[in-house]
Amino acid sequence: MSARRLWTLLRREVRATLRDPFTATILVAVPLLALLAFGFVLATDVKHLALGVHDASGTAASRRLVAELAANGTFDPRRFATRAALDRALVSGAISAAIVIPPDFDRALHQGGDPPAVQVIYDGGEAVLAGNAEAFLRSLIAATGAGLTEAGSPRGAGVEVVTRALFNARLDGKPFMVAGTFGFVLSFLTTLITAVSIVNERMTGTFDQLQVTPATSLEIFLAKILPLGAVFAFDVVLMVVVAGLVLGVWPHGSLLFFVVVSSGYVLISLALGLIFSATSATAAEAVQKTVLFSIPLVQMSGFAFAVRNMPTAFRWFAELLPATHYIRVSRAIYLRDAGPLELLPELGVLLLCGVVLIGLALRTLEARA
Amino acid sequence: MSRPRFWSNVLAVAYREALVLRHDRAFIGVVVAQPIMMLVLMGMVLSNKPANVPWAVLDRSESPVSRRLVEEIQASGYFRAPRTIHGYEEAREVLRRGQALAVLVVPDEFARRIERGRPRVQLLIDGSDPLSAARIAGYIGQIASAFATRDGPPAVRHAAPRLPGAIDVRQRFWFNPTLSDRKFFLSALAGMLLTNLCLSVTALGLVGEREVGTYEQMLALPTTPLEIVLGKLVPFVGVSYALLLFTTVAAGVIFGLWPQGSWLALLVVTLPFVLASLAIGVFVSAVARTSAQAVFITVFFIMPSFVLSGVLFPYQLMPRGVREIGALFPLRWYQIALRGVIERGAGMVEVLVPVAALAALFAGLLLVIRWRMKPRLG
Repeated sequence: MSARRLWTLLRREVRATLRDPFTATILVAVPLLALLAFGFVLATDVKHLALGVHDASGTAASRRLVAELAANGTFDPRRFATRAALDRALVSGAISAAIVIPPDFDRALHQGGDPPAVQVIYDGGEAVLAGNAEAFLRSLIAATGAGLTEAGSPRGAGVEVVTRALFNARLDGKPFMVAGTFGFVLSFLTTLITAVSIVNERMTGTFDQLQVTPATSLEIFLAKILPLGAVFAFDVVLMVVVAGLVLGVWPHGSLLFFVVVSSGYVLISLALGLIFSATSATAAEAVQKTVLFSIPLVQMSGFAFAVRNMPTAFRWFAELLPATHYIRVSRAIYLRDAGPLELLPELGVLLLCGVVLIGLALRTLEARA
Repeated sequence: MSRPRFWSNVLAVAYREALVLRHDRAFIGVVVAQPIMMLVLMGMVLSNKPANVPWAVLDRSESPVSRRLVEEIQASGYFRAPRTIHGYEEAREVLRRGQALAVLVVPDEFARRIERGRPRVQLLIDGSDPLSAARIAGYIGQIASAFATRDGPPAVRHAAPRLPGAIDVRQRFWFNPTLSDRKFFLSALAGMLLTNLCLSVTALGLVGEREVGTYEQMLALPTTPLEIVLGKLVPFVGVSYALLLFTTVAAGVIFGLWPQGSWLALLVVTLPFVLASLAIGVFVSAVARTSAQAVFITVFFIMPSFVLSGVLFPYQLMPRGVREIGALFPLRWYQIALRGVIERGAGMVEVLVPVAALAALFAGLLLVIRWRMKPRLG
């Protein structure tokens, strides 16, 4: 390996990358776009959800219950005069949750005996929505009911749970998604860019020219990967700053540690892109491979859906993806201020993936020569 | 240009295109491999319902009642066997390392306070995974509030958990009684697959032809660019319907999720959606200069449209501005219609709004394309 040759190749790659304004735009725009799109979508709470109300009781008590549900902006009540109208609104999807107050609500509330039965109906098709709304509606109704009767809970039942959330007290979805978006961008965009750039070079013939120069495959590999690696390291810093300024999410852990780990992970993704491109005949094929691979990558890496919720066999498969481990590390540093020692096992797996994939990428480059 | 000539030209181009498609291996790969992969993922793998949750217990009471509470939480089936820890420092540490998602702290006076009324426990949860954390807190809260603190007769103890309180809440989940995420994902699956198909294949196909030079050959024919583009799109409408039928029947046969509503409504609402998606593909091909560019633009249009439309995350819970941006993607309206027809048994009347929205999007896109699209060589 010669430092001079590597330097020449590096300059060639940097120029080739920067000459194309489109690629340069993509490299900046896509990470930011992904950050903004993903940052907002995960909600653990409910705000201004349309709630159908059929109040057959029509008393002061029932009106107070409805007012309490609307009070802090959790639900936007919409009244329905008949039960049938309410059912139709649920079927059409105009409302996703509804509450039916029985005619004897007030009476049952103040007389002894059975407590009044309030019916709550959810559109179970919107499973996430219903799941989130359920907890809120239940606790709101229970609290209002206690206030209406001034009666404590019956003795001999119930344990009060005082919940405290660490690292993210309001259970805000943004930090979770931001830390995951690093995994998405650094896995998908990196692989796609390398795959496309190398196949394009092969089609225009410049790759063959490279291979007849005295440069070794290790030198070509490094020259291809280092400039892109630097660009993505810059992307990481850019994303950290934008996430902080726009979404208000700053890393809790060491920024330096995070950038170092992320840069290392970029090399793994780039090697994967090299393998895809080296084994494809056309750009279209390389893209198909990358996109097809990106489906499990995005869905199974724990980026949006927790790995632990999957069936056992799929959990093992997810553990084989480097992205799974990187996203775990990214969240640990970003949200829980984890240090290198605590993350040793995950970092070890990432290192192993890197060695294997970079070795494979070098092999495929040599086989091509 | 007389009208009959126009349509015969369109059909001629469509015929040629269908012949080309049959030999396109990458295309067949997309049409066959993607649906199967997505069916498996959506039907069997993805879930928001917590499972295998690691948790820890800091039991300072060490009484039979506290052990029974732990057992009862464990029996709910969401959790792994709890790890026993001995101090707050350790609790923080297991949460920080991700070795536990929740720590239940039972205070020493727990057993004593039962005599005086409602005992209290503390639950520390890992907020870095907010969705799981919120749900786990909800489950544990429900189990705890229904927990019989005194050993009553077993029949009472194992009765259905009911929230003690002044109002009896009876809840029901319509259309999906077990609240399974599978239904949520699967019913919108066709929307995702059709978006992928219509966008990637048109954008790539048109730019690809321009690169290879066959587009120029076609421009030299006595056909207008509009006829060529329309002709190229006709076969994809057919493929889209085939894909829709495949997905719907596969979801029905494998996962038992058959459309509850009108098949006619399903077929009708699909047409403006497919046309709008194809139009976006055409627009991308008019903007992109190389197929690499077409790929990037397509992929990074598909990504936000999956994220913001509501197929994976409920759009109703997104913040105001973000929700409105999502309404600009055809997939938003199509997934509303799909969920309506497949899960809630909607008919033609209920899908009128999505159909109108999709038609409006399509019309808008046509105007943009007419303005942007000029016959271009090389």
